[in-house]
Amino acid sequence: MSDTTLSEGGPVPVPSAPPAETRATRLRHFWDDYRRAPMAVAALGLVVLMLLLSFGAPLVAPQDPYDMAALDYADAFLRPGETGSGGYVHLLGTDNAGRDMLSAILYGLKTSFVIGLSAGALALALGISVGLTAAYFGSRVEALLMRVVDLQLSMPAILLALVLVAVLGQGVAQIVLALVVAQYAYFARTTHGAATAERRKDYIEAARSTPLPTHRVLLRHLLPNVMPPLIVVATVQVASAIALEATLSFLGVGLPLTEPSLGSLISNGFKYIHTDRTWLSIYPGVALMVTVVAINLVGDQVRTVLDPRNSR
Amino acid sequence: MLKTLLKGGIAAAALWAAAPGAMAQELVIGLRAGPDSIDPHWSTLGSQAEALRHVFDTLVGVDENLQLIPGLATGWEPIDEDTWEFKIREGVQFHNGETLTAHDVKFSIERIPAVTGPMSMTIYTKRVKDVEVIDDNTLHVHTNGTAPSLPNDFIRLFVVPASTGMEAGNEEFNSGEKAIGTGPYEYVSWEPKGDLKLERFDGYWGETPHWQTVIRREIADDAARVAALQSGQVDLINYVPASDYLTMQGNPDLDTFVSDSVYILNIAPSVKDEEPQPITIDGKEVEGNPLQDLRVRKALDLAIDRNTLVRVVLEGLGTPANQLMPEGFFGYSDKLGERQYDLEQAKALMAEAGYPDGFEIDFTCTNNRVPGDAVVCEALAQMWSKLGLKVNAQALNGTVFFPAAAREEYTMTMSAWGTLTGEASYTYGSLTHSKDDELGLGAFNRTGYANAEFDTLFDEGQMTLDEAKRRDLFEQASFIAMEDRALIPTVILQTVWAAEADTLSFTPRTDQETLAYKISPAE
Amino acid sequence: MTGFLLQRLMQAAAVIVAMSVIVFTGVFAIGNPIDVLIDPGADQAIRAKLIAQYGLDQPLWRQYFAFVGNVVRGDLGTSMVYNVPVVDLVFSRLPATLELVLVSVTIAAGIGIPAGIWAGYHPGSLSARAIMALSVLGFSVPTFWIGMLLIMTFAVQLGWLPSGGRGDLGQLLWFETSLATADGWSHVIMPAINLSLFKMGLMIRLSRAGMVEAMRTDYVRFARAQGLPDHQIVTRHVLRNISIPLVTVFGLELGSTLAFAVVTESVFNWPGVGKLIIDSILQLDRPVMVSYLVMVVVLFVLINLVVDLIYARLDPRVRLKGGA
Repeated sequence: MSDTTLSEGGPVPVPSAPPAETRATRLRHFWDDYRRAPMAVAALGLVVLMLLLSFGAPLVAPQDPYDMAALDYADAFLRPGETGSGGYVHLLGTDNAGRDMLSAILYGLKTSFVIGLSAGALALALGISVGLTAAYFGSRVEALLMRVVDLQLSMPAILLALVLVAVLGQGVAQIVLALVVAQYAYFARTTHGAATAERRKDYIEAARSTPLPTHRVLLRHLLPNVMPPLIVVATVQVASAIALEATLSFLGVGLPLTEPSLGSLISNGFKYIHTDRTWLSIYPGVALMVTVVAINLVGDQVRTVLDPRNSR
Repeated sequence: MLKTLLKGGIAAAALWAAAPGAMAQELVIGLRAGPDSIDPHWSTLGSQAEALRHVFDTLVGVDENLQLIPGLATGWEPIDEDTWEFKIREGVQFHNGETLTAHDVKFSIERIPAVTGPMSMTIYTKRVKDVEVIDDNTLHVHTNGTAPSLPNDFIRLFVVPASTGMEAGNEEFNSGEKAIGTGPYEYVSWEPKGDLKLERFDGYWGETPHWQTVIRREIADDAARVAALQSGQVDLINYVPASDYLTMQGNPDLDTFVSDSVYILNIAPSVKDEEPQPITIDGKEVEGNPLQDLRVRKALDLAIDRNTLVRVVLEGLGTPANQLMPEGFFGYSDKLGERQYDLEQAKALMAEAGYPDGFEIDFTCTNNRVPGDAVVCEALAQMWSKLGLKVNAQALNGTVFFPAAAREEYTMTMSAWGTLTGEASYTYGSLTHSKDDELGLGAFNRTGYANAEFDTLFDEGQMTLDEAKRRDLFEQASFIAMEDRALIPTVILQTVWAAEADTLSFTPRTDQETLAYKISPAE
Repeated sequence: MTGFLLQRLMQAAAVIVAMSVIVFTGVFAIGNPIDVLIDPGADQAIRAKLIAQYGLDQPLWRQYFAFVGNVVRGDLGTSMVYNVPVVDLVFSRLPATLELVLVSVTIAAGIGIPAGIWAGYHPGSLSARAIMALSVLGFSVPTFWIGMLLIMTFAVQLGWLPSGGRGDLGQLLWFETSLATADGWSHVIMPAINLSLFKMGLMIRLSRAGMVEAMRTDYVRFARAQGLPDHQIVTRHVLRNISIPLVTVFGLELGSTLAFAVVTESVFNWPGVGKLIIDSILQLDRPVMVSYLVMVVVLFVLINLVVDLIYARLDPRVRLKGGA
């Protein structure tokens, strides 16, 4: 079984950055590497554009879809391109409540960004900490942490969301919390798996025998080597966070229905999938797809650039 | 052996059904919900009663408008203040060959408290003190006090043979061993959330149904149910979603059937001294409870554009409601006019009540409990915002909504109520009567509404055996509660069935039941 | 090794206790199950009687210990909705779920891993780009959307496949399964593909990432320079190097689809356990919730145990200690 080539070819210890290199130059190097892939640059541009549009929605959207008084049922189900009572053209049509779909998608995108990214980031941070700690310390700590993870993996997000909504009412924070709990376990398992393999390797053993502080070994040496699979999982999980939020909205434990997110727009549009009101299901779906694809392309390139073995 | 043969036969039949029209003897129905058990005394769930009606008959029957008709009892009348006499139909056979007698009915009534579950069937027998068999075809039911609505309570009283035995439970019924009734179909097999398979019973006392085999398939997801019909996997589906209704109407390959339901979406404003969730103006809690002011409740009512609710929000699948029951039900008041939509008058009333700029209020509804509840909830919030209110609308899953509503934690709610017995005491006694644990009244009165005048009229109605007099008392009581805006009715929901074009002849029912033995092939 | 397994067993017991306590507290926080289930025609006396009948008037700790007592006697409880023992209820639907999951993870791994390796081996090629683009589709479009699209195309428009449900059963070795009949396969194939897309996307991306990374390492360069044939390099060295994250994710996906494949089960009306548990949660059918989730947690502990054992086999330096 033992395979010597494996350890020889194993991960390269990450050299500490030379002190001369400042943050700014490191960033510039990063960017120089990043922009080698034109697709990834385009994707980054798209992500930035969508962030700007969604967070700047009050400035660019023709309507405030969360302002009930601005909506009128006379405008319900307008086709894309029709002009409503507001006197402007509804580029993507309107929904069953007379809400401008373009505005709803922009506002909803913001909510979904906030939910997807904050849940993703929190879950990632928590998952990495738990996974690394467990793998590094081993024994009791590892047993305790990993069984907690098993427990959480078995807990359906819907149950947690129900409890949170019952106790705290509907809201973004509740959804984020439910998603973090549902997803961090995933990251923890992935980190733990990769880190368990790494911790026995020579360079970690070597680092452990030096008087370096634990967190330094964890963050500087162990973490970079477990990052590649984590980034893949993370970029995928942002998408599934948004999808999960859609499912929760659909089950009536998501966000208030007067403030639709991209997820709730999609599940609402799903009701019209057998009808000719295709704009209700297609546009929010396309918005989600484009967002996820762009985030993934960016994620892929970041992973390539950050890869410590990416010798040039 | 017989069972295997049967199973094989059904499997073959299922294959046949894939070729449209090839098997005119089989009917496959796609339903949103199925039974929870084959034991007819386990649960009051509507989809349970609907399914088991094929196998078991009820003592009293109902027509498609929920009016009483003879069932296993051919007639009934009160013979004194607290006794009802039921005449039991002669010559009725159970699926196992036994003949129905009054003893079987007595056994069925007495079995209920022993076996019923959390959706307790004792609601139908709570007025029964004891049951006396006079002869094989005569039964006396003695009640606790006068119980004029007892026959209405018995429309879901399924009769099983006395030979079933008290110890038989769910297991014996689900296995088919004890699933023996007098109904038009014999039970073949069922599993939770799966198919219920039925075979025609040739010794049925009523009209012989057309279909030899019936499969009632539970397909909970709306889009999946529609797809199953479109792909020819099922012949008929119930609860077609409103969003698909218009498209289906324009589709020459499909027929749709629309009917009023017994379900009405009602708004329940809390009129307690302290509202559970604070009503605020600019973040500051308002002194007292504004909803106690009749002018405010009237303003809320006047600001509802029921025609838009029906025409746009429900895509035509509804009727404006002006009271808690549809027209023609026992106790429906003719004196209540159509509800007006008048935003100006509503604003004037708000100003008069001291809230010219409105207030901020929480409004909580059910989500997906009945078709259209969430969209109506959203629409109401929008309509009230035109009145100057800031409405925080939440449509919650029933799992969260019902327990919290029972704890009376909501200031204003909207949910559906169906008058399943077809008469007023069921609805008004539960929703608008003042809370009285002793008498079992006001059990679902979560608003704190109490009106002595209403209570007096209602209580008197409850005690009156004379039908015309009772009807009048209930009509007066409904009138008072509705004028008080104790609850604000919005729309009567309609539901839709769909089948492949020109294949089935089918009369929809107000209680939403899809009964295979009432369906025949199109002429 | 035995000590390791024994310790895992004890940990599993602790996890089970934790899970049951959490579910009891969770249901308590949401509300009284009777208020979800009760018929609107019921009066106060009936409600009070029901609450007493199900022991819901007792303090929570007493309800919990009553449950534990029953479990110790081998009784996992009876569904409040179906009045059927929870074990029977779950096991009657488990075979359907197992079939679906088996087919879908086979598709996901069988196509996803080779495709990912291919894409990583030929980065930048047209085929690699196509594979990667497809993989993104797998998780950027919501499951219910793709599912309905499949149904509309293959069941409604073309009429090739049934729109939902499980097909005829047949005998395969010792099992009664729909995978033994042609009709069964015609039913399972669409939901299985639908369920596999997300996993496939993940598998493709993980194996490609691992492949690209491995191809850059010195030992692979060295091996290639020495003229070792590529397939040998891949199978001997690269696969092993990328398998740890793959095995981890595979285990996670296996567990979560077995337990909660709700969306696909709903859209394709597949009679599996996922839908059962969601409905039980929505009806606060506590006996089903507690017992089922306890079974799920056991499943996850088991799967992760197997995954840890596989780590050790894949990489001998991962030592199994009592703690792990």
